[in-house]
Amino acid sequence: MDIIFEVVSVRTFWRILLFVHFLLAVALLAAVTLQAVAVMVPARQAAGTFIQRLRPGPAASYATAIVMLYVPTFLLGAWIYIKYRTYVRIPMEQYGHWWTVGSFEFKEHIVTMGLALLPAYWYFWRQPLSEEHASVRKWLTLFLAFTVWYAFVVGHVANDFRGVGS
Amino acid sequence: MTHTLDVNERVSPLDRSRATGAPASARSTASARASRFGTFAITFGITFAILYTVFERLNWPLFTYHPAVGKLDFWMQRARSGEGPPMYWYGWLVLSLPCALVLAWIATMVPARCLHRATIFCCVVAALWPATFALAAFIADQASFDAEFLKSIWISAIPALVGAAAASYFVPSQWAQRVWTGWLLIVPIGGLVVLGYSLKQYFLR
Repeated sequence: MDIIFEVVSVRTFWRILLFVHFLLAVALLAAVTLQAVAVMVPARQAAGTFIQRLRPGPAASYATAIVMLYVPTFLLGAWIYIKYRTYVRIPMEQYGHWWTVGSFEFKEHIVTMGLALLPAYWYFWRQPLSEEHASVRKWLTLFLAFTVWYAFVVGHVANDFRGVGS
Repeated sequence: MTHTLDVNERVSPLDRSRATGAPASARSTASARASRFGTFAITFGITFAILYTVFERLNWPLFTYHPAVGKLDFWMQRARSGEGPPMYWYGWLVLSLPCALVLAWIATMVPARCLHRATIFCCVVAALWPATFALAAFIADQASFDAEFLKSIWISAIPALVGAAAASYFVPSQWAQRVWTGWLLIVPIGGLVVLGYSLKQYFLR
């Protein structure tokens, strides 16, 4: 770590990590949202309503990318969490931003539950897809989409309090 | 042939609809492997969610990290003067992970019927234990006689264990099998409800 801090300041180092975490989260958010939409809108033809025409590619094609993005995003978030606990949360408590603190506490639980479901999620999305498990596959996808959206929004709010560009 | 049939019988519930183009023996081996992974993954998801919730509620981290001073302590340590706030989340995660991995691995070696019933038992215990504890605490507060003993977490374990044993024994096998993958969603959502409720102090200030 000392070698890194000779090149960049401690503050810049954490900001770079936070920014990379943000970029991964955006990619994950896009993938999980597209898959959730593909699962929710089972349109088969190109023509139709505006939403049906917007339907993304085959839902199964996103599964591996989501797993590959979720794990590093989670690990990077877990690393940055150290900085959040001392540098962000303490002033948050001093200013009485209790809703933000509570929401962020819930974020750590919800992303953990998402991580726990990741092996099963990946299993149910393996080719060839089993018709028998279509329902559990759909709900797992929606659950993961919710966890990612929740984590993204709450993380963004915390960043606005004290983070990159705040 | 007999061996192939045996393997197929053991793996059929999870992977009946997969791999139809391959030769029969290769298909059954691939199917058995896939099914074992499916059992592992589903059990891991369920057990991790239960264990994480339990460890968080009991505050049983494997270690405590003090980020301000970069220090690790085994198990749970309260904040010490001059050492900043302690972090338990890593400790809950690191304790839940190997426990869930071991249980999921054991699940791959257990007959499917036992696994489904064991899952029902564990999930019902996880739901009934806090419920009976809350009820016992309520009774202890309302009772006109001294019922403080009801506030013991171990006393409330008794009806929870009895109820879970009854549920797992009397539930029909087909229902247990059908609902098994459903626990994957029920348990994490239930865990999040419990964990979310425990955070109410932040939202009611």
